[in-house]
Formats: sequence, structure tokens, C-alpha cells
Amino acid sequence: MRSYLIRRLPSALLVLLAASFLIFTILRLVPGDPATTLAGPDADAATVAAIRDRLGLDAPLLSQYAHWIGSLLTGDLGPSYAIGGQTADLIGDGLGATTELTVAALLFVVLLGTAFGVLGATSRSRWIRTAVRVTTTTALAVPPFVSGVLLVLLFAVILGVLPPGGRVPFLTAPDLAVQYLVLPALCLALPSAAVLGRYLKDGIERGLAEDYIRTATAAGVAPRRLLWRHALPNALPPVVTLLGMQVGHLLGGAVLVEAIFAWPGLGQLAEQGLQRRDYPVVQDLLLLLVAVFVLVQLLTDLVYAWLDPRIRWE
Amino acid sequence: MTELYPFTPSGPSRRSTLRAAGGGTLLLGLGLAGCRSAVSEASSEPQGASAAPKRGGVLNIAVNSDFTPALLFSQSGQSLQHRLIYNTLTRYDDRLSPKPELARSWTYAKDGRSITLRLRDDVTFHSGRRFTADDVIFAVKNLQNPVRAAQLRATAATVTGFEKRGDHELVLKLTHPVNNLFDLFEFMIIADSETVEDAVTGKKLIGTGPFRLTKWSPGSGLSLTRNDAYWQAGRPYLDGVELRVIPQADALISSLRSGQSQLSFNVPGKSLGVVKSDPHLTISDYDTGGGAVYLGVNTTVAPLNDRTVRQALAWAVDRDRLLAQTLGGYGLASAAPWPKSSPAFTEAHRTHYSHDPAKARELLKSAGHSKLELPLLHLALPGDTAIAESLQYDLKQVGVHVTLQPTDLATGQKKLISQDMPALWTMGHGFAQVQPSTLAVSAYPFNEAKNTSKYRSAAYTKVVREAWTKPESGTAEANAQHEKISSILLDEAFLIDLVVRGQVQVAADGLHGVTLNKFSYLNLDNAYLV
Repeated sequence: MRSYLIRRLPSALLVLLAASFLIFTILRLVPGDPATTLAGPDADAATVAAIRDRLGLDAPLLSQYAHWIGSLLTGDLGPSYAIGGQTADLIGDGLGATTELTVAALLFVVLLGTAFGVLGATSRSRWIRTAVRVTTTTALAVPPFVSGVLLVLLFAVILGVLPPGGRVPFLTAPDLAVQYLVLPALCLALPSAAVLGRYLKDGIERGLAEDYIRTATAAGVAPRRLLWRHALPNALPPVVTLLGMQVGHLLGGAVLVEAIFAWPGLGQLAEQGLQRRDYPVVQDLLLLLVAVFVLVQLLTDLVYAWLDPRIRWE
Repeated sequence: MTELYPFTPSGPSRRSTLRAAGGGTLLLGLGLAGCRSAVSEASSEPQGASAAPKRGGVLNIAVNSDFTPALLFSQSGQSLQHRLIYNTLTRYDDRLSPKPELARSWTYAKDGRSITLRLRDDVTFHSGRRFTADDVIFAVKNLQNPVRAAQLRATAATVTGFEKRGDHELVLKLTHPVNNLFDLFEFMIIADSETVEDAVTGKKLIGTGPFRLTKWSPGSGLSLTRNDAYWQAGRPYLDGVELRVIPQADALISSLRSGQSQLSFNVPGKSLGVVKSDPHLTISDYDTGGGAVYLGVNTTVAPLNDRTVRQALAWAVDRDRLLAQTLGGYGLASAAPWPKSSPAFTEAHRTHYSHDPAKARELLKSAGHSKLELPLLHLALPGDTAIAESLQYDLKQVGVHVTLQPTDLATGQKKLISQDMPALWTMGHGFAQVQPSTLAVSAYPFNEAKNTSKYRSAAYTKVVREAWTKPESGTAEANAQHEKISSILLDEAFLIDLVVRGQVQVAADGLHGVTLNKFSYLNLDNAYLV
């Protein structure tokens, strides 16, 4: 295993290096730079030149690239050019906020998805089954930028029971943090919960049609036991796979939901960084995302190698 | 009732469903009963319905963009916190008459080449250090540094000598007289010299203002708390101020309507109708003009190098429709850049170009054109796009077919200051709300020496220089200079002004005593919540 890992590491590092070069180059090719953004619309040439000099943008590109890679290797990401503060703090805070939102949304996906699936498949009331079908269809059809606004209108403006946006860190005040989390997490979770609910409903219905269920029913096993001990667990494996795939969707969707609910996560940071051409923030953020994917890929390969020893020798 | 399968096990029964729902509600209720409400926490107003000034409460302000520490010493999109944390030397009233702030009084030398400032001696910074004349010297020198990107750097640069007379009297010596020195004093915040490098990275913001910074969370906002040692006795009334960053317009409006925020200056014009219908919110329009929308013309691109063609475009635009449809009616349709409070404002200049498509077509014909195709750059933001589309429609009516070129802010800004704009562009400008000469020396689009339109004229340079270096304002001579500047701007039409925009304030009806200075610095010294 160790030798396999050692063999895979160089290629992973090569991917990271190539990605860093691409990110650096593409950012420099985009028109506009941090100096002109910072200088503002009324700046003269002397102002722009002074800012360029202070930020080190006058240095040759290769030297700027080397400086960036050096900062990554030493772990000192340095200050942000335009947003302000330290790049590492900005990314750390944004990552914390996005993770908090995604985890809360995942919780909603599991709870709502299970409820939709079980009620849709087993309820004896046609009204409930229809309600579940309508709800899941609506949740799938309505995009988050619409559902978000509607949720805010209902719970924050009309009922006034939840805040319309913003964030209180969970560790600072958990009771307030939960209230700030509910609406964005729900908005983010609804489409995924609907997908999960539909898959689970189909799985349970298929399970309930199996012969062993018929036999167990004939043997007098309680219907509730049949559902919770047999049909539901058998329907779960594909749903768990789907749930894993939905995590990616949730992370992607978080960018949009963060804007609607003024949630200061990575999405907002990336948008702000790009808008102001804040090179350190955007570069580090993009490379972090690449690193996460490379790591996941590496772990997947390791798991495959662990499952199938032949892979190690290929 | 239809059974799905003959052997379908019962799902959750009605009883168990009700039991689960009841249990869940009970748990949620018990949980929330033991918690604070985020809604009531956010709208912490002092109790009581009296309209008399009342001490206490935290004011929540919704802003659409975060504070940029690197732009602390320049006017940026978000400058509200400047007068909360810092003070300025003087402040203008509505008629551009300077009033004392950190400077108690002043005396101009007869030749206009120096000014003696007598400063307050009872002021301390948030750090506890006393405010002295050295802090004013530092503030002026700080603005002279190009890195600070201060728009009034040209005026600060005229101060070349400092003569201290004790700790609280200072003579500023100028290379030549300027008539916008009080614009500089209104603009220049007095920051603690010992921590200025921490200030421009957002670590420490130490001033003498009514509130101290407790926390800046990038992307989320600023938290400020009352400065108990503020030099104005008994002020401020508020215990604290929270500036919350809410970039999305709908979310910002919801924040106001739900009571989470009590003040904002960032509600888009088109959305003001929604706000107007809310009985708990009040809209106020600061008609002193914080900026203006204009149509820029590149005078080196044929046929726009012909003044007649540029004037035709100025006649073609329906400013009143643009104001009503894209800015919610808040602003002043005007062919000149000046707001009503400006000494250069005249009704004749404002209406110099009205909507007259026939005249526009006639002028184009006289210049030998019946159909033109031109690009128009605009920022890819909803408000700016609406303005560009409105211009596109108007120009099409006179045979000028415009292709829209949406761009992002950074690219637009780069093109603007590197003189790389296409034939036409639309953006906003500031600095018409103070002394008229400031517009032509500090706002790049109007700069006499180098501007985006690539317009150069010895006459324009001469008149701007003369207006800038006459220390007296409000005199017949000064008014004549303003008239000359306006005439050149209107006749040459290298920038076609469309609408003078005020700052539109949306506030909860329990909020009183809010004011803005000429550079949109928020003053909450006398603000209170009831």
C-alpha cells in the first residue's frame, strides 16, 4: 500500500502544479487587475503605478508565480490585495461558513427525503401521497433563487419568526446560529430532498413487492416491522450512493444560496475576489478546490487498491 | 381508498403521524422557548414610543458591499463607516458653508496661500492618545501618498508647508490658492498615525469618532460600539451600530421589511416602489447629489470627433423616462452634472438638452449622417444594464444603432482610467456635489489634463485652473467661472450628463437624526431609535 501511495503521489503533485500554473495564467489574462480596481474610477497614472508597486505587480510574472508558490509552501498565504485581512483567515472563515451550511442542508435532505419516501410509498391516504408528489415535484421545479425569496417572504417578512439573512457562527451562539441556518439550509436542501425522496419511494415500493415480504406478511410479521426492518433498509444502498452525489450539488448550490441569504461562505468570497481581482484570494481558493478533488481521487484509488490487490501491480 | 399492494404494510398511521408531529412541535417549542430569538436580537430597539431622543439600542444598517480597508482614504462604494469611526476637520451644511468639527475655527490669509486652523483640545483617539496638530499634518501627508488613491490628492498636494503653533494651532501653507480646501477637510478623515498601516488592512481602525470598531468580519460586516469618551457630550445616543453586508437586492429589502435592519442606502431605484408600500419604512432623498449617471463619448472615434454628432446624442436622450423607469424617479434629470445645492447649478443648464429626437436627427443630418452603428459599454449590473438599454432605445429612434457591451466592474474601471473605452459608455461619476472645480480636478472623467473621452482643450484647462485657484467662492467672479465650466461641458458634450442622483435613504420609522456628509459618510452623532 505504501509503495502504491508513493507511486501515485508524484502524479497528484504534478496535477496540483499544472493547476497552479493554469490558475495563475488565466487570472492574469482576465482584463483588469487589483491595482486599477483599488485605484478607483478617478485615479491617475501615478496612483495606479504606486499601488502596482506596493502589491508587487510590477515584478516579472515568473517571479510573482514563484512568490505565490513559496507562500503556499511556507503556509503564509499573506494579505488579501483588495478585500482586506489575511487570505488564510478569509478562506478559513468562508470554508467554515460553507461547511456549516452544507452539513445543515444535508441533515434536512436526509430528514425530508426519508419522510417524502416513506410517506409517498406507504401512506394509505391518497391525499398524503398526492401531497408528497406535488411537494417533491414543486421542490424539484422551483430553483433556489425563487424558493429562497419565497421562504424569506413567508418566514421573515410575513410571519417574522426567522431572520431573513446573515450568519452567527455556531460556536459563538448556537441558539441564534440555528435560527440563522434554518432558511438557507432548507432552501439548499429542498431539491436534493425531493430527488432522494423519489428514489426512496421507488425503492420501498419495489421492496414491498418482493416475494419475501409476501411470505413474511403471510407469516404474520407486523406491517410496521416489515417496512422499517426489511423494505427500508433494502432500499437504502442506492439512495446512499445518490446522497454522496448530492453533496457535490449542495456545495455548488451553496454559492447561490449564500448570495440570497447573505451567508458569508466560500461562494461569496470567490465572487468578491473575482470582482475585485484579488489574486491571492482567488488563486488560493481555486487551488484549494483542485487539491480537494485530487485528494478525493487519491483516496478513491487507494480504496480500490485496497479492495483489489491486483491494482497495485498494474 | 386505493391499496398499493394487497399486502402493503401500514405506513405511519394517522395516530403515529400526529404523535410524531406533536412531539416534533413540542421539542421545537421547548428548544426555542429556552433560546433567544434571532429576530428580536436583530431588532434591539430601546423600549418606549416617545419621539424624544433616547439613549440605547443598536442600529442595524444593510449595505450591499463590504468595507474595503485598502480604500479607507478614498471615496469608494461603501464609505458609510468613515464618519462613525473618524471625524473630519470641518463639515459642510447644505449650502456648502463649512462648519466646525475637529477644527474649531480658521482664518484664510488674504492672498489665499495659507490657512490657520485652530483645533479642538478636548479630543482623544479611541486608543486614549490626545489629538493634536501633528495628526492633521499626518492626515494631509497621508492623502498626498498616491498609494492611498485619494480622489482629492491634487488638493492635498497643494499643501506644502506646515507651521505648528502649539499643539492645537496649525498653519497650512499652499503652493497656490485653491477654492476647494474645505472639500478636502470634509473628505479627509483624521486617523491615528500610529496604526494607519493596520487600518488599511482592516486590523485596527482607530479614530476620534462616536463609535469604536469592535469587529470587522470580511464579507459579513462591521460591528461598532459607542465611544464613551466622545468629545461631544452626551453623544452618541446609540449603544452600537452593525453594518451587515447583504449583496442581493431582494435579501436587502427583506432585511428592511422584516425589521432586521433599520437603515439602508442601497435599495435599487426600481425596488423603491416595494419599499414605499411598507408603512414602517420611510424613504428620504438627499438631493445634494452623491453622483450622476452619464453617457461618455470617446472624442477620438469618428464620427464622435464631431461636436455636432455628440450634441445630437445629447438631444436624443429622454432623461425623464430614464429617471422614472430605471431609477424609480429618485434623482434629477439634468444635462449638467450639478445638483441643486451646487453653486454652479442653474435651471437653464439643467434643461440645456431636452428630449428632442427631431433636433437630434437634424443635427446628425447636418453632420452628414443618417444612420450610425456604435458600441456602448456598460457594467453588467441590473441597474446599469437597464440604463444602457434605455439609452439604446432612445438612440435608435434617431438612427444611432447601439451594440451593448456588458462588462464587469474591474474591466470597466481599467478601461476607464487607461483611456481604453469604446465609442460610447455609460457609468456614474461623483464630485459634482462640492466645489465645482473639484469635479474637473478630482473626477477622472472630467479631468482637464487627461480624461477617458480623450478630450483636450486649452480653453477648458484654462477655465478649470482659474476656477480652482480662486479662493473666494460665492462671488460674482466665481459664479462666472462656474458658468464658463458648465458652458464648455454642455457645448463640447464629451460627457453627456443624464441624471443627478441623490442618496436615497430607506429607514425604519423609529429611526431619527441620521445625516450624511457630502461624501456619503454617515453621521449618527444625533441618531436615536424609538
